[in-house]
Amino acid sequence: MIVLGFDTATPATAVALLDGAAPGLASERRHDPMPGVRPGHAPLLLGYAHELLHDAGLTFADVDRIAVGLGPGGFTGLRIGVATARALAQGAGAELVGVSTLRTLAMAARPAPGQNVLGVVDARRGEVFVGGWRGAEQVLAARAVAPAAVADLDVAGWLAVGDGALRFRDELEGAGCVVPEDSSPRHGVSAVMVCEIALRADRGCNRELVVPDYLRKPDAVRSKP
Amino acid sequence: MRTDAPTLILALETSCDDTCAAVVSGDGDVLANVISSQGIHDAYGGVVPEIASRHHLELANAAVDDALRTAGATLDDIDLVAVTQGPGLVGALLVGVATAKAIAAARGLPLAPVDHLQGHVAANFLRVDGASTSILEPPFVCLLASGGHTLLARVEDHASFSVLGRTLDDAAGEAFDKGARLLGLPFPGGPALERLARDGDPQAFKFPVARGLDGLDFSFAGVKTALLYRVRDLGELETTARRADLAASYQHAIVEALAERCEQALAQSAGERLAIGGGVAANGPLRTRLATLGATLGIPPRALCTDNAAMIASAARFVAAQPFPDYLALDAYASGERALA
Ligand SMILES: [Zn+2]
Repeated sequence: MIVLGFDTATPATAVALLDGAAPGLASERRHDPMPGVRPGHAPLLLGYAHELLHDAGLTFADVDRIAVGLGPGGFTGLRIGVATARALAQGAGAELVGVSTLRTLAMAARPAPGQNVLGVVDARRGEVFVGGWRGAEQVLAARAVAPAAVADLDVAGWLAVGDGALRFRDELEGAGCVVPEDSSPRHGVSAVMVCEIALRADRGCNRELVVPDYLRKPDAVRSKP
Repeated sequence: MRTDAPTLILALETSCDDTCAAVVSGDGDVLANVISSQGIHDAYGGVVPEIASRHHLELANAAVDDALRTAGATLDDIDLVAVTQGPGLVGALLVGVATAKAIAAARGLPLAPVDHLQGHVAANFLRVDGASTSILEPPFVCLLASGGHTLLARVEDHASFSVLGRTLDDAAGEAFDKGARLLGLPFPGGPALERLARDGDPQAFKFPVARGLDGLDFSFAGVKTALLYRVRDLGELETTARRADLAASYQHAIVEALAERCEQALAQSAGERLAIGGGVAANGPLRTRLATLGATLGIPPRALCTDNAAMIASAARFVAAQPFPDYLALDAYASGERALA
């Protein structure tokens, strides 16, 4: 099974291609903009996917399963990823699998034995999106909280990863979390992990259910006053 | 018609709050024109960009399926994918652009990025109701008036237009909506204001029609402010009693502003043909007034006047399509006039 997976919930654009027959040989392309630099989701996502397929001697028509990160994260980036995934599946007749971005972070975090993992995505406006896992089991439901309020979630000793963990290192360490060094790749969402999680799914999801996990209501602000 | 025109075009349009997909033949026959109106914005008295973008994402693929089914086609039959690249709400545009790019890439098809305003112009190049010719062929003068744009253009060929005048503040449709709100009518206000105006006297109140502007530009801020002051002066009871007169007079001022500019544009360019597009083109008194100008009128059916994807497919017949994979980095643009020479 050929799986094309990507995640655009954070400023990063991460795309990977995985062959179920040789899962160790997955390839990934990614763009991690410096803080404050505009994300490249719209101009980069499909091009990366095409390059990965091309290098493997494949085309979009050869993809069996499209996997996409559903967030939570930045609304516009999420929509570019999910719209691209839904339309690729529609156009190529491929299966579609949505994967939680926080789960992807947690599954790729390599915690110490028995250690829980807190996925932390920068939610802007002074908040973070967090969710917790013990192995493959979710032990803390995804939510948006102020970084200072993470301490109330009883997460002392947990391993915290993600761009939110980097940005709010002080608050998370104050809550007793262990945050890997800034340069650790564990803070970036792994598209290879998106593919691996999707590969383990029994079947594709109903397209209408593959929508972003916004976790926030839209601001009811009109386009023009 | 070009002989190298693709035989079947699938188009998407998501620049504002309607999720639109269409299938159009290379000859300009509309085989399907699906418009999913989101409706939900009415409660907010205007379009909420984040809500519009969320709905586009949920509706776009189904709109494409719907358009294909209506046209009796499958993606195997499609030769070209077209999409509105801008201008519009950028978050909303991005859903359409990402969807169109991915469908085209999945099939190895070419993609035609289309300017939204060029799309409105190209609505006139469609053939409707089994006609053997398009609604109107260039050269013509074109008035585009909607909640988002007010533009007077000279159309010399199928691929471009030159701007003769534009609004300096509110769009004409916006002026209708804001006036309607002042009179206590629900959003979108244009059709409701037109209905109310039927029982009123268009001469009852004098509202200013902006004159003295350079060239053929429009301004609707003054007439809106004049209505606001008039409503204040009259007080609540009197305003309620004279709502129909206020609506009729206000509508008259906007229609006159549009018609006078059209008349000047026709005279300046020795034009004999006038096309109108945009949601305001559905306004009855405007159509009646423009018919008195003596020009041959091109008015697409309502579903091709308001935002739709068939007009985007129509425009795509006359722009250079990008072959796969040249368009993979294509981005949306929120403002500007990419199509203008
Ligand atoms: Zn429009």
